[in-house]
Amino acid sequence: MALGADATRRRLSQTASSWVDRHFRWLLVSPAVVLILALTIFPLGYAIWVAFVTYDFNIPGHAWRGIDNFKEVVTDPNARKAIATTAWLATAAVAIELVIGLLLALAMVRPFRGRRWLIPIFLLPLFMSPVIVGQFWALLLTEPFGPTNWLLGAISGSDVNIRWTTQTPWAYFSILLADAWQWTPFMFVILLAGLSAIPDDLYSAADLDGARPRQAFFFVTLPLLLPVMLVAVAFRVIDAAKIFDVIYVLTKGGPGTDTYTASYYLYEQGFQLFHLGRGTAGAWMFMILLSVVSYWLVRRLLKPVEA
Amino acid sequence: MAQVTIEHLGKTFSEGTEAVRDLSLEIGDGELVVLVGPSGCGKTTTLRMVAGLEETTSGTITIGDRVVNHLPPRERDIAMVFQNYALYPHKTVYENLAFPLKLRRLSKPEIDDRVRRSARLLGLEDLLGRKPRQLSGGQRQRVAMGRAIVREPQAFLMDEPLSNLDAKLRTQMRAEIHRLQRELQATTIYVTHDQVEAMTLGDRVALLRKGELQQMATPQELYDKPTNVFVAGFIGSPAMNFVGAELGRRDGHLEVTFGQQSLRLHESEARPGLEAYIGRRCVLGIRPEHLEDAALESGAPADRRFRGKVEVREGLGSEVVVHFQVEAPPTLTEDVRELALDVDAAALADLEREQQLHETVFVGRFGASTKAAEGDAVEVVAEHGALHFFDAESGRRISL
Repeated sequence: MALGADATRRRLSQTASSWVDRHFRWLLVSPAVVLILALTIFPLGYAIWVAFVTYDFNIPGHAWRGIDNFKEVVTDPNARKAIATTAWLATAAVAIELVIGLLLALAMVRPFRGRRWLIPIFLLPLFMSPVIVGQFWALLLTEPFGPTNWLLGAISGSDVNIRWTTQTPWAYFSILLADAWQWTPFMFVILLAGLSAIPDDLYSAADLDGARPRQAFFFVTLPLLLPVMLVAVAFRVIDAAKIFDVIYVLTKGGPGTDTYTASYYLYEQGFQLFHLGRGTAGAWMFMILLSVVSYWLVRRLLKPVEA
Repeated sequence: MAQVTIEHLGKTFSEGTEAVRDLSLEIGDGELVVLVGPSGCGKTTTLRMVAGLEETTSGTITIGDRVVNHLPPRERDIAMVFQNYALYPHKTVYENLAFPLKLRRLSKPEIDDRVRRSARLLGLEDLLGRKPRQLSGGQRQRVAMGRAIVREPQAFLMDEPLSNLDAKLRTQMRAEIHRLQRELQATTIYVTHDQVEAMTLGDRVALLRKGELQQMATPQELYDKPTNVFVAGFIGSPAMNFVGAELGRRDGHLEVTFGQQSLRLHESEARPGLEAYIGRRCVLGIRPEHLEDAALESGAPADRRFRGKVEVREGLGSEVVVHFQVEAPPTLTEDVRELALDVDAAALADLEREQQLHETVFVGRFGASTKAAEGDAVEVVAEHGALHFFDAESGRRISL
């Protein structure tokens, strides 16, 4: 008897251990699966539902609305304006970052004294939270305490009274300034890597072939840098289209709705006006729009890389 | 094509390294001169100075009748083939060849004509539409040559153009470069560290060491009459054997003694200059191809034989390379040390160990039927004219 019980126990523990052996990998991945389900799949599914119902903190109940939430966003002139603003702000910001980043990279590609220290300093803005970046540009620019107007006044010799964050062309300028300050280093560091990868011998060969420095730039540097440049631009455009933090801190979308971007508009719909249903519907549309644009960008821009 | 003259050329890098010192060379119109030497001898630096890619510290470079020292590369009218080819990766073969012509603002039909002519010369006609990365190593090499040829420049500069190819292809491309150079009558400066390339390609060869010219001569003269131990050891493969020796006279004949063994000098080797070295130490050099297993040369006189112990036997089919130990101290002059170091740091360590043991390892290229086996004693014959003598102090050849 005792022997039999022992054997049963052994057999049981064997089956248990072989079950664990066979399913151990699933046990290992299960926390991650649960986390993804809880934090991504469920909210995503929930958000689909929210987009089709009344989900408003001021209105009780969640009545089914069909595609009305979507209709309201599409017909809202503010939403259309926000999309346009987003498009041109993102384009302008990336263009500025590309040009300055390229110039910096060209200046820094050859070794010189102090380069080792300069490059990390250039990269610092990259590691800052956009909210902080927005905040310190606000401190620098906003009248009456920001030193910018005073400094410009001292230079020009007359009073300068620019309302950097609340006056129309200047509000755009401030946003671009803050964004470019933070993200130019991104362009810089990627383009620097791209430039460093071009072998010196190619420049020697171009020189012997009769190319002047300007021609070497257009016939050797640019074509060889193009793939890297396009990747950097694609990344930045997708990222810049989602700009929110700097605007939230600097202009709060103002003056009026002039600096409403897509993200800021959706934030206002959802969390200022509490039209969560409408905001979610807008967010879905924006996500799809951005996916289409990104897909096109990646396909279109990366084509020369494959060719 | 034009003549290239280098006079008293010097180069000191900003951190103080002297790469080239007082170098004077003349490359005749249509001549191919090879600059050869171990790494760090200044050959590539010299070439880059001629190209204008490196500034000269002193001296003048003349191409044709123009002093070009202060001209940028693009105004020197020379073409260069780089070690890694330096083809434009984003351009097709056609565009690579056309690029220098386009920069010279030649007309489209003229460019097309020249590109196609060069392509035909190099067998590149079918590859004109491809990008460099779709080409094999040998094809890239040809495109690089084509880009040089298409411009019809005053001179060609080639910086180790074959070193990225495997051995077989290298032999083939070497012949190709030879053919092209003869056909185009192109003034060419060719840099390599490979002495076989230097010997086979060069009308004349300039051997450099630590930025200084050691000898400039035809390949045959370099082989027959090396000006010093360094040149003697660098040219030839396997390298010349060196051993510390002493000259003496017996029965009215000059003889050379190393360790306990002596060889009588043949008339072709006995120069009057050697008289001054009687009773003094010198360096004896013998090329491996001038040594033979005595068993295969029964008629060889006894006074041209010496003994050793076989260490390694390498059969090559057509011949057998035998490494054998001789009881005599090896020479460890500065030249020999540097030659060994150019092979490997371990080679130098071996030499130093041999010196402590008073043993010198000789290499001989024996006939295929030799029976010399590892561990055996072997008797070796030195052919007539095989013995080279160098000053033990300066390493210079004892001539006249």
